[in-house]
Amino acid sequence: MTGKYFSYISLLGAALSLMTACSKDGDYTIPTPKNELQNDCIKRSLGPNIVGINIEFAYAMAIPAAKGKLVSAQVVASIPGVQVNPGDKPNSATYLQDSSFYTNGSGVDVPIKVGDRSVTKDGANVVTFTKDTNAVTLRYFYRIPEEARGKTVSFTFSATSSNGETVTYKSGPYTIAKMDMALNLLPTNNNKCYLSVADMKLYTAAEAAANPDKIDLVYLYRNLAVQFGHALVAPAASKDYLPGVTLPANVNRDTKLSKAWNVQDFHLAGLKYGTTFVDDVDFEQRDMSTSPDFALGLKEEAGVWVETGDGQYRAYIFVNKLDNTAQSARISIKRYKVK
Amino acid sequence: MKKYAIIASLLFIAALMGSSCKKEKPIDEDGLLITTRAECYVSNFELLGADFQTVRSKAPVIDTVACTIKQEVFFGTDLKNLWPQFTLVTDAKLDPKITGKVDFSDLANPKTYTVISGNRQVRKTYTVIITVQK
Repeated sequence: MTGKYFSYISLLGAALSLMTACSKDGDYTIPTPKNELQNDCIKRSLGPNIVGINIEFAYAMAIPAAKGKLVSAQVVASIPGVQVNPGDKPNSATYLQDSSFYTNGSGVDVPIKVGDRSVTKDGANVVTFTKDTNAVTLRYFYRIPEEARGKTVSFTFSATSSNGETVTYKSGPYTIAKMDMALNLLPTNNNKCYLSVADMKLYTAAEAAANPDKIDLVYLYRNLAVQFGHALVAPAASKDYLPGVTLPANVNRDTKLSKAWNVQDFHLAGLKYGTTFVDDVDFEQRDMSTSPDFALGLKEEAGVWVETGDGQYRAYIFVNKLDNTAQSARISIKRYKVK
Repeated sequence: MKKYAIIASLLFIAALMGSSCKKEKPIDEDGLLITTRAECYVSNFELLGADFQTVRSKAPVIDTVACTIKQEVFFGTDLKNLWPQFTLVTDAKLDPKITGKVDFSDLANPKTYTVISGNRQVRKTYTVIITVQK
């Protein structure tokens, strides 16, 4: 008997809840826009933040025309970015862009100058608007300085309007990677073929003889009956892997190498690939204890993980280009200091 | 009365479930079906390097009578970090299982893998003999 009543009650309850849901839908009203100065910000650059490259933001601000116009915009970084030195290109440092962009019919972004070029004062990048502007998006490029390595950086964006309002947007914190990067090194067979991971530089035999403790790898190209081609070999490797190479005196470090395929790092490979990044964590978690001290038969767009003999550095070397005729290569390196 | 009906139907469902389990074909310790097939051989062999690219310089020579797989690899192959891949006849399985990189660097003592047939009655042990291109 009671069971029957329960089922009726639950049915009624269900019907009621259905009706309430319906009536709620009818209550929708168009939201009223905020009648004040507003701002918003997105981070445009992806991947690890490496010292020497930019973190890019787009900072948007707007005020209703009846309320006034924009006066200035500024960005303060918790660690000031690299500043322009005399003689440098203005784009080689931290700046807040003085132009707003629109995309024309051909898909090209066309700049419209809206203010004075960003000046850095007291650690802030400021743009003062010179045109009557109600809504604008400015791009901010933060060139990561050496002192930010391994730390976190946060940013405070703010805008002021002619009616005295101020808005602020906090972005971050963002971790700055510990690793370093060197692009487009050009090793040549039997010439500039001695690579130092610590320096991220190439040396000739004479230079290598002067700095034998720095040389971690030898680049060589051999056209043999077996697969050899372009190779990176540790100086301490078996002579079988260093055919025809006479090492300078005391060049004898034993570096570990492990070949990789399909690790087309965005920073190292250029703008061709947009989804793969080698980050600090890839170096930290790598186990190279069983890796050999040679990597033969390198291919274009492949790479090699490297650990120096003293365990001080781990690196990823990306092969940008190989040239069998010139017997040379173009390589790019990301390097992480382990200890 | 209703209560009894519910209990009876529950019991019936449980019985149904029990019977359906019994109907299934036998499975082995890995949860794989034991079938009637007695064939037991390796039909292809692949060897990948640390970069997951092939290190074979030639096609493998598989002798299903002598139970050997002879494979030549490129000069300068990292023999400690290889990933073997066996193609087996239908329903067969491999023991030991390949769970990651395998060290083939001891060329004097080749590794062995046992193929087990679909009916789990026939076992054949293959020796993987690796030679480096010269």
